[in-house]
Amino acid sequence: MNAAPGRCRRLAIALARHAAWMLPSAPWAQAMRHELDYIANDSAALRWAFGCMLASYKARLTQWPRFSPRHAWRHVATSGALMLLIGLALQERAGGQTEPPRPGFDETTCDLPGVSPEIRPRLRCGTVSVPRNYDKPDAGHFKLAVVVIKSEQQPSWPEPVVYISGGPGSPLTVYAAHQARTPYAPRRDLILVDQRGTGKSEPGLCPDLAGKLLEAALAFAASATEEAFAMRQATYLACRDQAIGRGLDLTDFGTQVTAEDLEWVRKALQIERWNIYGESYGTTVAMTLVALHPDTVRTVILDSIYPPDPVPLWSTTVNDARAAFFANCARDNVCSASFPNLAETYRETLARLDQQPLLVTVPPRMRQPDDRVMLTASLFEAVVTNLLYYPTAYPDLPRVIQSVHDAEPQGLGQDLAQVLGPILAAQLAAAATQNRATHAAVECRDRPHYRQDLPRQDLPAGAQGLDRRQLYGVCARWSDVGPPPLVPAGTRVPTLVLAGQFDPVARPALSRHVADLIGGSARFVEFPLVGHNVRQFSACGAKIAADFIDHPAQKLDTSCTDRTSPIPFLPKRR
Amino acid sequence: MPRKPNNSRQTKALLAAFLEQARVWRHGYDLSKETGLKSGTLYPLLMRLSEQGLLESRWQEPERSGLPPRHVYRLTATGLALAREQELEAVAAERAGALA
Repeated sequence: MNAAPGRCRRLAIALARHAAWMLPSAPWAQAMRHELDYIANDSAALRWAFGCMLASYKARLTQWPRFSPRHAWRHVATSGALMLLIGLALQERAGGQTEPPRPGFDETTCDLPGVSPEIRPRLRCGTVSVPRNYDKPDAGHFKLAVVVIKSEQQPSWPEPVVYISGGPGSPLTVYAAHQARTPYAPRRDLILVDQRGTGKSEPGLCPDLAGKLLEAALAFAASATEEAFAMRQATYLACRDQAIGRGLDLTDFGTQVTAEDLEWVRKALQIERWNIYGESYGTTVAMTLVALHPDTVRTVILDSIYPPDPVPLWSTTVNDARAAFFANCARDNVCSASFPNLAETYRETLARLDQQPLLVTVPPRMRQPDDRVMLTASLFEAVVTNLLYYPTAYPDLPRVIQSVHDAEPQGLGQDLAQVLGPILAAQLAAAATQNRATHAAVECRDRPHYRQDLPRQDLPAGAQGLDRRQLYGVCARWSDVGPPPLVPAGTRVPTLVLAGQFDPVARPALSRHVADLIGGSARFVEFPLVGHNVRQFSACGAKIAADFIDHPAQKLDTSCTDRTSPIPFLPKRR
Repeated sequence: MPRKPNNSRQTKALLAAFLEQARVWRHGYDLSKETGLKSGTLYPLLMRLSEQGLLESRWQEPERSGLPPRHVYRLTATGLALAREQELEAVAAERAGALA
């Protein structure tokens, strides 16, 4: 990493030294110079140094009678040389040369939604400029949005938590108010970063095409025809061309780059070591960060792992999660009484939808033609898969499946609209927050398997729709494959792996396997009746995580996992 | 009419910043950010207030190795009294303005 001072910083140092030299007997002049080393931002440092110089000159002029002509000449000559240097520096900047950035935090006002007056004083918002390309420090920079949330109880404990969110492509800092209310370790500060190309961080990848990318992806999810495939591919390639036309290099993306960005942010915030909390895709970044910079990490939590390559075909993982859920229903008195063979009902539903898709009325905010959506087998598969992420949806999931199963092909049953409409709207809203271009930019660099054809396997009806929704057919034409994400095998950093029983992204067994790869420093905890994102939906998981962050050397008390309440299944509608 | 000493806007802002954390040692850069005063204005002020016995100062060891010591400042008892007096004056002026 480039830690050598840039031109701006060197100039500031020279000015401050000159100011202190002007007043050798004044401790405050020395104090001003020392203070410079605590100013992370280069521009602020230069402004500070200018002030130092002006103050020293002003003070020196008041002592003018003590000036000898010889000394006066020296001062004038030195000042002239400095002014010349400043002029040259400014000229070079105006000439378009980009100065390599140096880790620094530029504080700004906080423009975030939902921030209450109680939370506002705890927030520090700003940006950190990171190199676009760490191998080419002169190739320009991107500004990343950073929010520091001070812990509610002050003084905060040292070594804050950095939370790395999922995606890739999901915004984070916009949720700062929620994050402030649900700390990972209540006595520690929390740091949020919008990864490059997401949220408020630069670059804005294809902002004009975001709607079209989403539309094309949804159309393809609903109906994986050749036409829909071609439309999606064309939209992604239009985005690629637009990005390149704007001077962006699509090889400036990938998990290793994101990990280096976080390391740069750590330096900018002058944090010696931090605790990492990675969730979903954030676990991929977290593992890579630990592998690249182990000395900067005190502890790491991997909540709901996004598995490293070779990753199993997604539909097979989803099948297992769904089968585990159906088995739970079969063991439950209420669920099994209302839905005696939920697995079979589900299979029948997919087969019926394959034959005859249903028209479902949806809320006007979804902006669908005639406020209707064609519910195909593929789309229904996607809906059920999404519901497996959220334990709050589990009580109603069997009823949703049964409602679709029982719906009349011609009917727009009010029941079905009431059940499915809000679910579809919520899922669409969630999908719309993702930056799909950034998702492709990272995944296409990270995951070589998207360059191959989708493997053909004997899968249940509709299941292949899930796999087709991924980036097969896009990545080969998007960018070259980049350096892979890393697993910190054999690391000494204390590691905690959390896995949900019904996780549709990674089977618990696969998460355990990753923990085994990491080695003796890793502990693994499985949470019954939880899907993806353990901590978010399990108070038990949140407690275990907080205890681990504060006391990583202590034995984990995981007894709360044995006291999980059964799912409060809702009976069949009458 | 002679000008009242330490009555400038900058001095008042600086004393108010010190008063917010009256017994805490403060760094120059933090004070600059809090008051908006540039270093070229701030340090001559700090120097003058120290000479008048309103501030005390000392060198503080760095928190991390590789960094230089920092010069830190805080109000003396006299400085605290003056800062409180100025705060009361400001509140009174604000109320008068509100009633006007």
